[in-house]
Amino acid sequence: MWREWKTEWMKVRYRRIGLIVLAFLGLIVLWITWILSGNDMEQLQDGYEMLFMNLPLIDTILLPTMIAMLGSRLCDTEVKGDTLKLLCTMERKGRLFDMKLLTGAFYLAVFVLLQTVQIFLTGRLYGFPGTAKPVWYVYFVLQIYTVSMLILLLQVVLSFFFENQILPLAAGLFGSFVGLFSWFFPNGNPFKLLFLWAYYSELGFIGQDWDAVTRISAFYDVPFPFPMLCFALALLLIGYLAGKRLFLRKEV
Amino acid sequence: MAVRKFQRKEKGINMKYMIETNALSKKYGEKYSVKNLNLKVRPGCVYGFLGPNGAGKSTTMKMLLGLVKPASGEIQMFGSEIHDRNRMEVLKRTGSLIEAPSYYGHLSGRENLEIVQTLKQASREEIDEVLRIVRLEGQQKKKVREYSLGMKQRLGLAAALLGRPKLLLLDEPTNGLDPAGIQEMRELISDLPKHYGMTVMVSSHLLSEIDQMATDVGIIDKGKMIYQGSLQKLHDRAKGSIRIQVLNQAAALRILEEHHEPCTLEDGALIFTEREAVRTAELVSLLAGNGAQVTGVSEQQKSLEDIFLALTGKQVSL
Repeated sequence: MWREWKTEWMKVRYRRIGLIVLAFLGLIVLWITWILSGNDMEQLQDGYEMLFMNLPLIDTILLPTMIAMLGSRLCDTEVKGDTLKLLCTMERKGRLFDMKLLTGAFYLAVFVLLQTVQIFLTGRLYGFPGTAKPVWYVYFVLQIYTVSMLILLLQVVLSFFFENQILPLAAGLFGSFVGLFSWFFPNGNPFKLLFLWAYYSELGFIGQDWDAVTRISAFYDVPFPFPMLCFALALLLIGYLAGKRLFLRKEV
Repeated sequence: MAVRKFQRKEKGINMKYMIETNALSKKYGEKYSVKNLNLKVRPGCVYGFLGPNGAGKSTTMKMLLGLVKPASGEIQMFGSEIHDRNRMEVLKRTGSLIEAPSYYGHLSGRENLEIVQTLKQASREEIDEVLRIVRLEGQQKKKVREYSLGMKQRLGLAAALLGRPKLLLLDEPTNGLDPAGIQEMRELISDLPKHYGMTVMVSSHLLSEIDQMATDVGIIDKGKMIYQGSLQKLHDRAKGSIRIQVLNQAAALRILEEHHEPCTLEDGALIFTEREAVRTAELVSLLAGNGAQVTGVSEQQKSLEDIFLALTGKQVSL
């Protein structure tokens, strides 16, 4: 398994995937800085809640595109170079699928980890009065990582099956729009469950009340939706098995 | 020497054939791409797999490599029946180049080979060796997307040679090469059994190409094997015939029947299978002496092309 894993890293050399991930992270940092710049100390009272609310929202907009690019970068080299017919004589086809997912999962793990560091550092830098509950960091990782993995799975399958990578990238852009609009619908809406990108909002654990008169937002804790998390994880497992089966059946 | 070396027992199995298939078939929809194929590739030979485009050559080779699942039939390689559990183990001893070469365009030639070397668990020194064999040492640091098709093809062959495989499957390896590249590739392939003790199965739609490289040949058409054997035997089949023209055809046929001399009629001439010069002279004397009125004797030489045409009914590229 290690040698297959090693070759995945040899293949992504010069592909600047890390740079793409860092660029998206930088964009999010700038976005958050812009949001916070207009707030005074009183408004930053609920600073952490605001971050745990706004970061998933921003991720919903940006991550589907980033993950589409990530999936495409990982798989298009195999499609463009017609390498499957060579690789599948040296490593098990299913293993190749797993390694692609694992490499993508690694990049996503680094991204989510850096985001949690970003939350912590932002709180320190701006001197948010309160403290973030440690469990919020865990919920945040579960929320972002689980949904991102679901999207990555979809994107890897699409990127493997379409020679022209426009379609997987278009799926990413579509996901960004669907995800954004999903925040306007109440959680638990069955329609939202049809779209993976809507799961970021479904797994939210901070609620927000916005007073149109005073133009003040009030944040509150929402119990973490564990049943929804279980549903997403089950979907991830089913999606993985179905995606792998599809890939195995694909003749090269 | 190489043949003898390969005929030794491998893993306790007395291996008669390096590759042997039994009624191998592949169906796409209702149409058979390969039907009941019985392939027999002797150890240490260069097996030319010849057939027109779309005959089923690539599909067969892909089935051997496990890239395409057969509809039915069995495959034996290195004396063992291939199934899902042992496929990777068997393929470790196999190198392949199927259709166009596989490569990572953003990486250099050497980096491409490093990936294959890692997966095949070959030594790093082998990279230099295969680069030397395919004469790509000077271009190894160049990005593969900047390679010409010929260089990519040679890189593909280098990848196939990594891990010192005992069996090499090459599907149309000279496709897209210039004449000099084609000649170079042919010489390289022909030398592999002798220098590296490999068995090579090489497919082509070019008869002349197989004629120059192979020792054994299998001709496939519409998914069916229509000839399999040594190239020498095919050449023997291509031996000519004797054509005797006579004015009195009725008398000639009567004489031949009396002397039990089989012949066929073609455009009014009598056609005999090729025979020694003395026997031809006797035949002519016999006909002339019995009033058949011989007007001409000629030798007809059949080309491999004629044989191929007779077997497949299709024109083949020369």
